[in-house]
Amino acid sequence: MRTERSIFPLVGLGAAAILIFAACSSSATTAPGGSSGAGASGGSSMDALIAAAKAEGNLTTIALPHNWCDYGDMLTGFTAKYGIKINELNPDGGSGDEITAIEANKGSTGPAAPDVIDVGLAFGPQAKAKGDIAPYKVSTWADIPDTAKDADGYWYGDYYGVMAFEVNTAVVKDVPKDWSDLQKAEYKGEIALAGDPTVSNQAISAVWAAGIATGGSLDNAQPGLDFFKQLNTAGNLVPVIGKTATMVSETPIRLAWTYNALSDKDSLAGNPAITVTVPTSGRFGGMYVQAISAFAPHPNAAKLWMEYLYSDAGQNTWLKGYCNPIRYDAMVKAGTVDSAAQAKLPDTTGTVLPTLDQITKATDVITKGWPTEVGASIK
Amino acid sequence: MKAPGAQVARPVRRFGVGWLGMVPFLAFAFLFLVAPTFYLVVGSLQTATGAFTFQNFADLFTPQIITTYANSLEISIVTALIGGVFGFLLAYAVILGGLPGILRSALMTFSGVASNFAGVPLALAFVYTVGRTGLFIVFLKGIGIDLYSNGFTIYSKIGLEIVYLYFQFPLMVLIIAPAIDGLKKDWREAAENMGASSFQYWRRVALPILMPSLLGSMILLFANSFGAQATAYQLTGGFINIVTIAISRQMRGDVLFNPNQGYALAMGMVIIMAISIAGYSLLQRRSERWLK
Amino acid sequence: MSMGGNSITGYAAERALGPNEPGAPASSPSRAAGRSRRRYLTRIAWWVVFLVGFLYFFVPLYGTLDFALKSKPFGSAFTAILSDSQFVSTLTYSFIAGVLTVVVSILIIVPTAFWVRLKYPSLRPLIEFITLLPFVIPPVVLVYGLLNTYNGKSLIPLGNSDTGLNILLVAAYVVLSFPYMYRAVDTGLRAIDIQSLTEASQSLGAGWIRILWQVILPNLRTSLLSGAFLSLAIVIGEFTIATFMSRPSFAPYLGLVGDSKPYEQAALALVSFGITWLAMILIAVIGRNSRSKIKVTVG
Repeated sequence: MRTERSIFPLVGLGAAAILIFAACSSSATTAPGGSSGAGASGGSSMDALIAAAKAEGNLTTIALPHNWCDYGDMLTGFTAKYGIKINELNPDGGSGDEITAIEANKGSTGPAAPDVIDVGLAFGPQAKAKGDIAPYKVSTWADIPDTAKDADGYWYGDYYGVMAFEVNTAVVKDVPKDWSDLQKAEYKGEIALAGDPTVSNQAISAVWAAGIATGGSLDNAQPGLDFFKQLNTAGNLVPVIGKTATMVSETPIRLAWTYNALSDKDSLAGNPAITVTVPTSGRFGGMYVQAISAFAPHPNAAKLWMEYLYSDAGQNTWLKGYCNPIRYDAMVKAGTVDSAAQAKLPDTTGTVLPTLDQITKATDVITKGWPTEVGASIK
Repeated sequence: MKAPGAQVARPVRRFGVGWLGMVPFLAFAFLFLVAPTFYLVVGSLQTATGAFTFQNFADLFTPQIITTYANSLEISIVTALIGGVFGFLLAYAVILGGLPGILRSALMTFSGVASNFAGVPLALAFVYTVGRTGLFIVFLKGIGIDLYSNGFTIYSKIGLEIVYLYFQFPLMVLIIAPAIDGLKKDWREAAENMGASSFQYWRRVALPILMPSLLGSMILLFANSFGAQATAYQLTGGFINIVTIAISRQMRGDVLFNPNQGYALAMGMVIIMAISIAGYSLLQRRSERWLK
Repeated sequence: MSMGGNSITGYAAERALGPNEPGAPASSPSRAAGRSRRRYLTRIAWWVVFLVGFLYFFVPLYGTLDFALKSKPFGSAFTAILSDSQFVSTLTYSFIAGVLTVVVSILIIVPTAFWVRLKYPSLRPLIEFITLLPFVIPPVVLVYGLLNTYNGKSLIPLGNSDTGLNILLVAAYVVLSFPYMYRAVDTGLRAIDIQSLTEASQSLGAGWIRILWQVILPNLRTSLLSGAFLSLAIVIGEFTIATFMSRPSFAPYLGLVGDSKPYEQAALALVSFGITWLAMILIAVIGRNSRSKIKVTVG
């Protein structure tokens, strides 16, 4: 048929065009880091930074929910102090989203390109290896524990929280105190994770923490899988994403970070009443890290943001949001910690935080085992 | 093909105006769909460092991933069929079923909104209604029917399908409405005048005429369901493995990060879609044959 | 359907009954009575279908309402939403984007579907494959690709400015509307005899644009409305692309209200549902009042 024959030149042209187009636009320029090395704590260099940042006028953040560690106040506080407008992308985003956003916007100066990221600990080294982040050492660099930062300054721990039980006391009269309590028959159909353990950091941490309390350790996450398998077969675990919305009646027990649970408690304001219990054993801490994008359209604003986060004011804002800021010990020693906020933190002595290697190993075990050992039972 | 003997005022040349009509679409599709997602093809054949590999595709043939695709297909086919049938009935009811005309406008406009009511709000709506402590479940318990004790749960594949239908029905209603409109009333009357029963009318007249459109709508429903993700993730917490969640897992999560694997999974979806369309085109051509 | 309107009635009716089936037209009273009783029963049946649909759609909405009303004081979830200035601004942005999307989509899809049906039926599987691609390509992949392809270093640096990103957003939404718009228009075109309409118009001296605009388009009212409804709903509800492109549209705002305020979230879902429904009704009313279609009966 005539029409068949006339298609081929078009297809050939199209294919050629695609190849040319792809070659032109996806030219991945490995941008030189763009940022300087260690920032001196001298006053004048700070002034210079502030001036340069103000000249840029904007900062683009990503994946910062306002009620997560009180980022809401952090963002408004920064803008109030320096007059730099903040453009927020994708507040519900995950760490993968943040890395993707950096890579997708290489070479763009528009508002869709993030300047700074806040990602799970395991993502720091990954982003560094991919060349997506640029090093910067804040003026309070020395206060950050060595185990919580990259020696070259590419990524640095910001805060951590502890895995806890968020309980709706209007529905649950007898609040569980420890991980093993969760297996009791009285909690049938009441417990939910905050996500899928192969997707959500909170969820996988809950699995690991449960394991640590029931025979596992930071080096052995398998008992966590066994625990949840049992919880699921008993019917105690509801296979839904536990959110504040489901806390109201459907899943009155949610496994979440202390800071998220406590901020939920505040925002629900007694309707219904929430209790946050840190389990007596298996206290597990999860840390997140900050980094500056290697392709940041506003590199100086980004650095200023980091300075703000790691200043006493910034760290205390996180503390207000029930997170343990990374400079906590140093600030307690120097007496600059916000004591009112400090008093509101629950007792979390005995919390263990995993190293990168332990995280990698446990992630492997749990993500491989979850679908087959626990998940497969749902019909 | 032109009917034999018809006269046309202007002869249509082979590379003439006809192609101009297609250019906007093809250009638009190229600029904003094909070119930007070309890296999907490229990325699926690369490792994280950019080297060429088939490993991402080889990894698709593990039993777990195969189950994942099977789940997606099952849910999509079921919701496409049920959505297609009941959606069609619903559309027919308001268009030719003798119901007051205002119900037609109400259903069409409602369907416009409902077709996109998905994701977390939809999942939560069903949790609030038929979750373990949901309004409807509690009501049924009050009159003595305890669904959850008898094994029903919204947190299951069937539950997910029930929820998916919420946007499948409206989609079907909207897409099939023009076809039902095209079913001329006089045909029905003519058939009745000739003594055809309702069943004969449907079997020999209405359904054959509608079949190409029905098939076309159902492939749309299938694709719609196949690509859905947020609703499933919220409702089943990732317990039910479907491909879209598997892709999110590799590209958007806080735990794993292997976007190349994600691209390969997405390419798998594209290939399945291509095969489905090929199959459906065959079916459609068959069903259209007698109409010519 | 290339043999003209009436012939299909005769053809269909004949095929339905065959030459030998008993088909004496009946006019006896008992047969008429039977038929009207049958009609009564069928109408009841259709009412049942409608009611089942109604219950299925409204009970979950009622469940959401019941949940939203649990906020204290009563109804505070709704007042909180409606008094938020961002609610209006983001909804307006989304509506404008939606209208633009619908217009561009119609302008692109109608000629395409028309030409495919008229002249290039062999291209149909390819076109349909392209229109269905947006379903199987994850939105995050699409937005990543768009931002990458049109970033600051490309030939068309749309990623560098707000206006550029707005254009990119509408373009992405037009792509997302393809499956619905194409299917709706294709279904509508099936129901009209475009071959005869085109030939008749051409023999009257009309050019292609005139044919499309004045003959074909008015006959596609139901399809275009369906496609418009679906596309508008998509634009208002679309989250991933808008948020990655940092656009001040409705769904990202809804996401920001977020998980910490469950009652407000439920209230917002209902309010946006209601407002979108009103918009659809508005479009339907406008569509009805537009120029009446030209009915061309051929054969």
